[in-house]
Amino acid sequence: MSKFKPYLVLIGMLLVLSIMTACNDENGEVSNENGGEKDAKDIEVVFIPKMTGNAFFESGNTGAQQMGKEIGFKVKYDGTPEGTVANQVQIINSAVNSGADAIAISSVSFDGLNQALKKALDAGVKVVTWDSDVDPEYRSFYVNQGTPEILGAMLVDMAAEQMADPNGVNQVAWFYSSPTVPDQNAWVDYAEKYIKEKYPKWEIVTKQYGEGNEQKSLQIGESIIDSYPDLAAVIAPDSTALPAMAQAAENKGLTAEDLIITGFASPNSMRGFIENGTINNHGLWDVQDQGALAVYIAYYLAQGNELKVGGTLDVPNIGEIKVESNTVQGYDFEADDSGIIVLPERIVFTKENTSDYDF
Amino acid sequence: MVNKIPKWNLVLVLVLISEIIVFGLINPRFWNISILLNSFNDFVAIAIIGFFVTFVIITGGIDISGGSIIGLTSVVTGILSQLVGLNIWIAVIIAITVGGLCGLINGILIAYGRVQAMVITLGGLLLYSGIAIVLVGVSGASSYEGISGFSEEFSSLAYGTVLGIPNSVILFIGMFLIAYVLLHLTKYGRYVFLTGINQNAADYSGIDTKKIIASTYVLSGLSAGVAGVMLTSYLGSARADFGSEYLMSILTIVVLGGTLITGGKGGVVGTALASIIVGFLQVGLQMGGISTQYIGLATGLLLILSVALLSVSAGSKNSIKKLLMIKSNIKEGEV
Repeated sequence: MSKFKPYLVLIGMLLVLSIMTACNDENGEVSNENGGEKDAKDIEVVFIPKMTGNAFFESGNTGAQQMGKEIGFKVKYDGTPEGTVANQVQIINSAVNSGADAIAISSVSFDGLNQALKKALDAGVKVVTWDSDVDPEYRSFYVNQGTPEILGAMLVDMAAEQMADPNGVNQVAWFYSSPTVPDQNAWVDYAEKYIKEKYPKWEIVTKQYGEGNEQKSLQIGESIIDSYPDLAAVIAPDSTALPAMAQAAENKGLTAEDLIITGFASPNSMRGFIENGTINNHGLWDVQDQGALAVYIAYYLAQGNELKVGGTLDVPNIGEIKVESNTVQGYDFEADDSGIIVLPERIVFTKENTSDYDF
Repeated sequence: MVNKIPKWNLVLVLVLISEIIVFGLINPRFWNISILLNSFNDFVAIAIIGFFVTFVIITGGIDISGGSIIGLTSVVTGILSQLVGLNIWIAVIIAITVGGLCGLINGILIAYGRVQAMVITLGGLLLYSGIAIVLVGVSGASSYEGISGFSEEFSSLAYGTVLGIPNSVILFIGMFLIAYVLLHLTKYGRYVFLTGINQNAADYSGIDTKKIIASTYVLSGLSAGVAGVMLTSYLGSARADFGSEYLMSILTIVVLGGTLITGGKGGVVGTALASIIVGFLQVGLQMGGISTQYIGLATGLLLILSVALLSVSAGSKNSIKKLLMIKSNIKEGEV
């Protein structure tokens, strides 16, 4: 008797499957009718971070949710604690399957999501990227915190203004998430060019990667301090690496006088370090605005509206934004409906202004 | 004792059906067949390793190195086809063979070296993912960077369909049939069970249990190799960290499928059903609007409740008997 049941199950499964596929000839793909304007409340935008549980991305989500509430469309925040390509692919697929109208994603990989995004686009889902881009062929617009020129120069200047002699010989270390993450590498590449021109005597001693992992980043931060005793500055343009680097310096009893630490992270995660003198300054853009703008653009496209390179759009609470060509980010791919939207402003946080911001 | 397993499969079928009904009521799109079939893409890798890890666990061992063998085979596929320039299918065959070799190393050390399976496969887990990262480094790509640029032909492995059925479902069924026939319809499968029930007794009855044990690890390694190739095709790039998050998922579906972690009892039908249950649970919860980060919670609850149920249903008769015995003994004043 006991031998008999597994067969039944198997035959049953096969039968059900064949019946299912037989009735499944025409509705292979889920399609959205783009019949002009949709009601706001019928539109769902899935807002995808690189990883959950990180102050930067949670703040982005806060802005995204507020924008959704204000305009009246649904924003679903969906990510996993560990930012891997496989997880992001799975989340994109599930967004497409569950009938989302648009995706706004901060990608962990420049080309790892191509297949999944292509499927999403084929199914009529609008794709917008924010914070970290993908191959521009597979998205419509990238909500950019600043071009590599702007952000790369900003990173170098934040470090230089703290140095006793910025034009002298200074050892500098880079510390961010990974050698392949699109956004941070673009900034650092430009920053190195900028250093060559403006501060030719600086010496880049090392580039370290924390892979977005807090524990690993702390260990790396401590090893940077131990390995390079003559280091002048560590520049950490990553929301996990910068707090970890500051924590490492604090653990070792260093202050901003001994080692300059600066970079990009949210003010809430750095306020303690600024107030106790571990660091003097760090920068960021208003990530709440970025999240809000990303979901608004996604929603605007999902309504069936057109947005073209060279055009402008009035966004509630943010103001007028301009759509620029992909070339401002150094891409070759150009199309009318694929471009870059640069956030209007960036902020340097210091002791004076850090308490004015809450994100 | 043995007829407990099919009963458990029936429970799993009921869970699966109720899952489909409940999630469909929450979001009717869940009943779209193409969505359900396409969701196989996301758990087929876990399932096919699970089928063969079932063999390992039945013999009384455990194999936790599957996840890192995925990463290694993915990297091998990428390097051989993209950097060395071999034909993609030859690269795939070599990569799967590498997976089998990893399993062979595990199996020989465990069966002939008589070392704890947990220790060896833990070492394997670290060793194989380490080798994968080194290989990527040697090849000139950084450890975080995938090797991409695979041909359309290779990508269609994962995204293609046959008669409207996605290839991942075909692969799932194919691997399931191989595992089912091997475990439940051949002499080899019977030896696997006998080895797990009592290795010494099996030895005395003339079964070469060491060979049997080693072979289960080879099968598990080969299946991880197949999973690695499948994931590489699905994600369009080869990366060392593929599969690293699958370790617990693989053990989850085997245990949820009714295979005893202590060995001697189990079956691949349960593993197959459990993998679909866990996979659909993820899809269904996401469609119900629940964020991905909370899905582990649901899977954990499902596992704990069902395994508790499994042992209660198995031991309930005995324990009730025991309780009654004790009571009657107390009555007679013999304790």
